[in-house]
Amino acid sequence: MTMAEATESAPAARASRVWTRDVAVRATVVVLVLAAALVLAYLRADKPVIVTQAVVTGILTGGVYGLVAMGLTLIFGVLDVVNFAHGAFLALALFITYGVVQTTGVHPYLALLIAVPVMFGLGWIAQYAVLNRAMGRPLENQLLITLGFSLLIENGLLLFLGGNPHSVHFPGNRGLPVLGAVADLSRVLAFVAALVLAGVLYLILRRTRIGTAIRAVAANRQGASLIGVDVRKIYALTFALGTACAGAAGTLVAPFTTIQPTAGQTFNILAFVVVVLGGMGNVLGALAGGLLIGLTEQLGGIYLPGQSPLLLVFIVFVLVLFLRPQGLFGRSS
Amino acid sequence: MRKIWTTVALASAVSLGAAACGGTAPGGATGGSGGGKTIKIGTLHPLSGASAADGKQLENGAKLAVEAINAAGGIKSLGGAKLEISSGDTQGKPDVGQSEATRLIQGGAVALVGTYMSAVSANVSAVAERNKVPFVMDVTGDDGVLKHGYKYTYRIQPPNSQMGTQGAQDLYEISKAAGHPVKKVAYLHDDTAFGTSVLAAFKAQAAKLGFQVGPEISYSPASVSDLTTQVTQVKASGADVLAVTGYYADSVLAAKAVASVKPKLNAVFGIADGAFDQPQFPGDAGAAGAGLYDTNYRQDANNPQVQQLTTLYQQRFNDKIRTEAMLSYDAVRVIAAGLEKAGSSDRTKLRDAISGLSLDSLVIGNGPIKFDATGQNTGSLPVVTQVQGDAAKVVYPAKYAEDKVTPSFPATAGS
Repeated sequence: MTMAEATESAPAARASRVWTRDVAVRATVVVLVLAAALVLAYLRADKPVIVTQAVVTGILTGGVYGLVAMGLTLIFGVLDVVNFAHGAFLALALFITYGVVQTTGVHPYLALLIAVPVMFGLGWIAQYAVLNRAMGRPLENQLLITLGFSLLIENGLLLFLGGNPHSVHFPGNRGLPVLGAVADLSRVLAFVAALVLAGVLYLILRRTRIGTAIRAVAANRQGASLIGVDVRKIYALTFALGTACAGAAGTLVAPFTTIQPTAGQTFNILAFVVVVLGGMGNVLGALAGGLLIGLTEQLGGIYLPGQSPLLLVFIVFVLVLFLRPQGLFGRSS
Repeated sequence: MRKIWTTVALASAVSLGAAACGGTAPGGATGGSGGGKTIKIGTLHPLSGASAADGKQLENGAKLAVEAINAAGGIKSLGGAKLEISSGDTQGKPDVGQSEATRLIQGGAVALVGTYMSAVSANVSAVAERNKVPFVMDVTGDDGVLKHGYKYTYRIQPPNSQMGTQGAQDLYEISKAAGHPVKKVAYLHDDTAFGTSVLAAFKAQAAKLGFQVGPEISYSPASVSDLTTQVTQVKASGADVLAVTGYYADSVLAAKAVASVKPKLNAVFGIADGAFDQPQFPGDAGAAGAGLYDTNYRQDANNPQVQQLTTLYQQRFNDKIRTEAMLSYDAVRVIAAGLEKAGSSDRTKLRDAISGLSLDSLVIGNGPIKFDATGQNTGSLPVVTQVQGDAAKVVYPAKYAEDKVTPSFPATAGS
């Protein structure tokens, strides 16, 4: 490292420290607001077990939302591509899982060994063969391409496998008691896997050479290419990683989702919200945003009975956008 | 860049998933006929999108009806004219349904059949009225569709209000006969017009019969992925019956949540529910589906013609037939009988003939298919099914029961 670089990096490091402190402050505020909301919910509800159940369900489904949103946010953070096909990729993984379980009769989670690599490969091909040609062009091009992917996948599934719903059964699935509430074993496992995956992704991005290259491309694609990073390969790798996340999510949610070609749309709607809320491109932010949305959705049903539980989700969403347009954990641009 | 994300998220929020769909309209081949005269019937069903499985069933039902009528010699009063289907894909969207209806009418369809979704049917009925083309609705629940005073729109299935009213009545009678008269019903429903209108009718009838309805818990079918909290609310409320109105995937979630929360219920009772009476439901829900009731339209399993059609459908399409397909089959039969009676393919003469028809149905009813002044089939009658073993079977009223089964009550799901 030359002197010039060293002196230049000092303010950058300081800025980074300031930003970290800033995030900690914001995280504390979010936790405090949630705690206040919880206390209020306990006071309002006639039976405390309802709120406990809402919290348990909110955290578990929130983890799944975060898991789906992670791939989406990674792709956006590095490629600036809004991936409309994310839900369709998830649906494809659901069908792969269903196929594996149907033909071999193994435990559904073993399908991860097939679904994740297959989705990784598909993501790589999609980016390398198609999307890379549209990079650097107006944003609508990429948007239309991913929209095309989603139509292709969903209608392909419909054409070849039919629209009838399917399901896979999770052997030994049962409700675990948690402080009077119940948590389905399959949902608990999906949640734990979401945490592990978020950790793995974070470590890949922060601690490996590949991760450094990905972050370099995200920060400045021209600069990265000047120091010898193959930007097109990094794009393909990132899209593949994001798609693999959708693949993992697909297998993990298969035991408690009705498997049909449009199944991914259920998660897609909230995943978009989660990505914006968590800060675009922020993997851990996606997980936090997912948890926040999961809890808000569940508590919404208690606060506003008779209304759609999503009402509170979008109230929170609009409020956050109003106060922090860059998302809760995003850096201001 | 950020603005794009915000727009994307907001757009998804507003249209609830519509952002990611789209699709293409198939070029429905409406090619000319050869020597003999052919008469075109337009079908409008969701062949792509989230309801594609149902749309396919409806489309196949109409197809089989046309084949059967042609094989039996076509429309005899018109010199054995053959029927032909012009097919339109609504994608489940009202605007697409409207443009497809216009396309089919311009292509020469003498009548329309459809559409599975009330919002789509509402638009198509307006197009049909404007063009004076008879429109026979196979599946469409919303009461409002027939309240415009249109002269060309008919409905075969029972409307939402009838299903809600009949559901409350049946639940009351079954529970009373079993010695556990219903006292308090918790109601879980989707927050669209479907769930809310069925609930309203159910509540009105419950008030007449003297049992309580509450809590009323709603959810958004397009985004729901768990109903455990909602079922915990049901458990805490002390209700003795849970009524459910919803679509397929969300109703499976409801059944699974009941199985894991285990509320003390005498019954889980679907009211016009889109899952509990379907042939694939017991397999998808597993143990959680056992004993679940549903009040809904239903094919008459004791009718030999229905049994033949069931076998034929399995052979032709490698799938189990649903009542929906029987309804579209009936809708085509109504049009064929109208053509036969009118002796003309003139659309207004056909309308007049359909208005005065009386036709036996493949679907259980309290009389033949006949239309009142609004166009509603006066013979429509929802009946009660229960999942027993690996299938949902009609259990009530007793005279329509399949395999002579009787309602099992109390029936705690998932145990």
